[in-house]
This record gives sequence, structure tokens and C-alpha cells, in this order.
Amino acid sequence: MAIETVAPPAARDSNPGPPPRRRNRNRPLWMLAPGGILLVLVILVPLGVALTVSLLDLDQYTLREWTGAPFIAFDNYVEAVTDTALPHAIWVSVGYSALVTVATLPVGLAAALATQQRFKGRALVRSAFLIPYVLPAFVVGTVWRTILMPAGPANSVLGEQHLWLNGPNSYWTLVVVQLWTSWPLLYLLAASGLQSISEEVHEAAALDGAAWWAKLRYVIFPHLRGVLALALIIAFLHNLNSFTLPYVLFGVPAPHDVEVLPVLTYVESFQNFRFGLSAAMAVLSLVLVAIPLSVYLRAVRLNQHEN
Amino acid sequence: MRRIIAIVTTSLLLAACGNSGDSPKTEETGLNGAGKTLNVLVQANTIYPDQQRAWFTEINDKFKAQTGAEVKFETFASPNDELTKIQTSVLSGQGPDIYSLGTTFTPTAYATGAFLELKDDDWKKLGGKDAFLPATLGISGPDAEHQVGIPFTSRPFVMAYNTDLLKAAGIDKPADSWDGLLEQAKKLTSGGTYGLAVAYADGFDPWKFIWAMSVQAGNPLVKDKKASLSDPSTLKAYQTYLGWLATDKVVNPAAVGWKNAQAIADFGAGKAAFLPMVSATSKVTLDKSAVAGKYAYAIMPTIPPGQTSKPGNGVGATSILSGDNLVVAKYTKNKDLALALVKLLTSPEQQESYYKTFGELPTNATAAKKLQSDPALAPIIDSASKASGTPFNGAWSQVQLALVNVVVQSIPALKDGKLDEAKLKALIADGQKAAQDALDKSK
Repeated sequence: MAIETVAPPAARDSNPGPPPRRRNRNRPLWMLAPGGILLVLVILVPLGVALTVSLLDLDQYTLREWTGAPFIAFDNYVEAVTDTALPHAIWVSVGYSALVTVATLPVGLAAALATQQRFKGRALVRSAFLIPYVLPAFVVGTVWRTILMPAGPANSVLGEQHLWLNGPNSYWTLVVVQLWTSWPLLYLLAASGLQSISEEVHEAAALDGAAWWAKLRYVIFPHLRGVLALALIIAFLHNLNSFTLPYVLFGVPAPHDVEVLPVLTYVESFQNFRFGLSAAMAVLSLVLVAIPLSVYLRAVRLNQHEN
Repeated sequence: MRRIIAIVTTSLLLAACGNSGDSPKTEETGLNGAGKTLNVLVQANTIYPDQQRAWFTEINDKFKAQTGAEVKFETFASPNDELTKIQTSVLSGQGPDIYSLGTTFTPTAYATGAFLELKDDDWKKLGGKDAFLPATLGISGPDAEHQVGIPFTSRPFVMAYNTDLLKAAGIDKPADSWDGLLEQAKKLTSGGTYGLAVAYADGFDPWKFIWAMSVQAGNPLVKDKKASLSDPSTLKAYQTYLGWLATDKVVNPAAVGWKNAQAIADFGAGKAAFLPMVSATSKVTLDKSAVAGKYAYAIMPTIPPGQTSKPGNGVGATSILSGDNLVVAKYTKNKDLALALVKLLTSPEQQESYYKTFGELPTNATAAKKLQSDPALAPIIDSASKASGTPFNGAWSQVQLALVNVVVQSIPALKDGKLDEAKLKALIADGQKAAQDALDKSK
């Protein structure tokens, strides 16, 4: 059995404790094992398999005995970048995700500010705001698809014939629907950020006679900066990874203007049976996701050593 | 995307686990299936969900009485669902014992090598190859010696037409050429009614039109691993198909957003004179619609666009060879039981009752013969006998996707009222390249 030798917190306050090396050795690191095993099983092993598959020529002909599929090194990556719609899909995905993310900021923030003050029916409004977020993506997709059909309600209201689900408009359809379904996340985080600003700060601002805009600009926003930065990064990653919504809205093969990365990866795997190529695309998109993710990790300072 | 990685990887993990689990095979020549369960994967029948559930129970009871084994049916909602299921099962070496596959997916399934290739002995256990209509065996395998698919149902495509509208326009019967059909459709387009109801946004319908018009003009699209989408006949097919909406204006402009079901609904509302590319299963919807009793089926034209008679090298295909095949998984531990169940499902009695419940035609020769006398079915049976198999190549699904993609990417420009030939040619060239790349990899 491990013997507990870690000093109680009170003792540590007065005494810096044993040197770091000894302290590390005596930590009950084995208690990390369950989490560690899960990490390996759920994240590292699949990641390893995906990396392996991306180096194989795995398709419908080699699927049955996948370990015997020919090893082709980085050919899948080369093909993905040079001979598929991947660069275009990255462009579409990043572009629309960024647009949606930027657009959710004012909407979510305004909603959070509007429901900050107590008023009658506030709970109801707050719950209603969350509806788009809690609806399953395929429901959102199906409903919007029905609305935007050529002979659907949207065109009857406008009194004009627009094509929303294909062609250049479809890009804006994707932006609007994704915005509709994702702004409550920003609202949620902004609302929680607002609640963490203490009463005294508000009082002090009031005593100084700050107008609402000055209060917003110099008191509230600085407090919210951290939480909003996080919200934006999470929202961006959500949008980038959104598969169900574009899939249900536009179907496959996807119209050129909305051929997003997750749908392209899906089509390569499950329609064209190019599992190796698709895995290479997935790995490349993982790299893509890692860029904002590293910003995110920096923002939450998970990588900063505790003091 | 992460989900896809997850699916792929979990199935890979399963594969690793599954291979070690090969249990010793218990031989059951006497077919004592007591305590055993066969798993069968079939498409969920959205038209007759209750009847399908009843049918599951009925088959289970019958098979249990015969062999003592239970039959558990699983359903999939869409072809994509089925693909995912097949892929995970193929990888993991465990899953359903029997799959019901759409005919056009059979080549891809064959290419995986995961399904039982039927030897003479196996056919004997199924009651012999002669028990089946010869035409339905056309897409069971690359040749007669290598077959995996056992024909289960036949769903040839035909065309429904509104008898009242045709009579009012003085047309006695639908044309036998695509050009003739277009002329009739123009005559029948007025006010809120259109000549044709076509589902341009369907994931499958478009390629069937392009394929039919191409083979009728003598271009099989795929031959000896060579794709021929860039052949003028295919360009002509696309121009005809897309032209109905863009330039001829015989299709409701809203059809650019239609799937197959919406085209049927529009025809059912009496707003279109012809509804090409439907199977007999549309009967259920139409018999409950406004056109009940006022419509009939006919075979689709077999004379390609731009021609007045079938060219010498053309194939007079009325439809793709359509329906479902049953395949037995190689990994099954109950092969003989599985074959016995397939025999039950394709027996004359079962096939007849299946037709009566679900409207899908038998593949069993005896059962099919019985139905031939029914005049309402005549055009459908006629189409079944004139149907032609799509190319048997593992890359066919990819070719199909390439064919549909041309239509998807052409749709935005249709509303301009003209077809840009250069743009269309460029899209077809992309399709040709995608198809050829896929064929080059085929084995």
C-alpha cells in the first residue's frame, strides 16, 4: 500500500515542503490510471488507428482485411491536397465558420445583456433563447430545409423564386441556419460571465456616474473578455465540425458552394469507400482544428504550471 | 468529422477483437436451429410499417416451426445507413447473417469479398437457380459462376400517367421515344399543370435517367473498366433531362428541390401528366391521392433523345434491373440456416404474399408466372423483362455519385432558362475523371 506522506495544507503554508523531486515521487500518481486508461482507449488508440489508416490504400476492395491493405505512405495526403475538393472545402468551412462565429457575438451578447436585469417572464425568455441550441441538428436541418424549399414558406413570404438549397445562395443559407442554431452558446457563456461580475463593480460605476455605454465599454466588456474569447473559439470549432446540419440541409453530393469539410470526408468514406483518403482528410482537418484549439488552451491557461 | 473518425476507429477496434473470437463451427446439416438466432438486415418499409412488423413476426414463426431457430430483423432507414452497417460488419466480422441489398449496390458488396459466393451446392439448398426468373439474376454477380446476390424482390421502373389529362389533350398513349414524350409533355403543360414530374434533387433518380438514355443510345457508361461519360450520347442525355426544366419548361420550376416522394405527391395532386421513374410501390400513395383511378402505368421510352428509332447498338432498356438481392455474410456461423431462411423467403408462397402485402414483384419464377395474367401489372412485368443490369463493377457506386453530381451542380443555372453547353461539358468531364479514377482502382 502507498503510504501517505504528503504534508497537510496547513503545514505546507508555513513550510515550503520537500524539494520538487521527492514530492513528485510520493504523489499517488497511480490514481490517474482510470483517467489515463480512458484517455488512451478513447482518444489515443482511435487517433493512432486513424493515422494508420490514412497511410493505407484502404477501400472497398481491401476493407475486409484492412490490416493487409497496401501501405502507401503519404500518397493519400498528397492526393487529398492536390486532387480532391479538399482545399475548396477547407476554404468554405473556415470561411463560413468564421462568419457565423463573428455574427454570433453581437447576437449572443445582446441577448445576455437583455436578460441580465430582472423582469417579469425573464426565466421564460431565457429558456426560449436556448431552444435553437437544444434542438437536435437533424431536426433543425429538416425544418429549415422544408422552409427553404423552392415552393416553401420562405419563397411564398418573399413572393419571389429564390433557390436557397443550391447555388450561391446556399452558402448564406448555411451561414444563417448555423447562426440560428449556434448563437445561444455564446449567449449562455456571456450570461454566465455577466453574472460573475460582482455587484460592487456595478455600484462603483453607478457612483461614478457612468453612462450605459461607458459602463458597457469600460466596466463590463473588460470583465467579459476572457469568457467571450473562449466562447468564440468553442463556437468556431463547433461550426467547423458541424456535419449533420449541412448534410441534412443540402444532401449528398453537396452543392459546390456548401461542400464543407465534414461532408466531404463523409462522402469519401461512405459513398466513395476511400477510407484511407478520407482518414487523411480527417487528420488534415484535425491539424486545422488544432490551430484555434491551441489558442483556446492558451486562453484557458491549461498548459500553465500551477504556482 | 470526429464522429466519422470515431465510427471508423471503433469498427477497427471491433475488428481487432472480432477476429480472435472465431468459435468452433457447429455443423447443422440436419438443420436443428434450436437456440440459434439469425439476424437479418432489411430496409425499413416506410409505406407499410405495420405490415412489415407483422411480416417479421410471421417469418420468425414460420422459420421457427421449420428449423427451431429464431429470426431477428433489423432495419435501416436509408441506403447510407445500410452502407455504414455493412462497413462496420465487414470490418468487424460480425453482424447480420443476411443482408437485403439494393441491386445497384450488389457490385460494391461483391467487391468487398465479405459475402458468400454461391456454389452449385448452395444454389441447390436454395431450391436451384431455375426457381428464379432468369432476368433477375442479371445483377447477382459478375458472371454466372460468381454470384453472391439471391434475387428477393423486383421493382422495375415505369412511368405513371394521368389518363384524364392525356385524354383531354387527345393523346391516346404515352410516346415510346424521349423526343415524343417531350412533345406530349409540351402539349400537356398549361396553367398550373406540367407535362412531367421529375425529382431533380433526389440522390438517386437523376443517374437512372442518364443511364437509361445513354444505354439506349448504345453507350453502357462503363465497359471493361473504361468510363464513357464524355460520350456525346451522355451529353445529349443531360441536355434532355435538364432541358425539360430549363428550356422546354415542361416541369414545375420547384422540382429543382424535389426528392422522389415530392414528385409522386405532385403527380398525385393532379398537377403533372407524366411521372417517369417510379416503381409499383408508388401505387399505394397514388391510390390514396386525387388521381386515384385516373392514372395508369406504362413503360418509359426506349428510343434515345434525338432519334426516331432505336440505334443498332442501343439497348432497349426500360429500367435498370431494380429490386433487392439477399446476400449471406461470409462470417456467418449459421450458413445452412441462413440459406434455409433465404429459401423460405424466396419460396412461391412467400413471394406471392410479399407481393400482395408490399406491392413488390416476385423473383420466384412460379410466383411471377401467376401474376402475369393481371392486366394492371402488365406494363410493370413488361418493364421487368426489358430491364437491363447496370455495369457490374465495384466502382459503380462511385460512378453513380459522379453522374448525380453533374445534375446537382447544374441546378443553380437552370433558372436562367438556357443550358450552357460548355459548363455542362466541364461538369461531365469532372464526372468522367472521377468515374475513371474509381474504375482504375477497381479489382
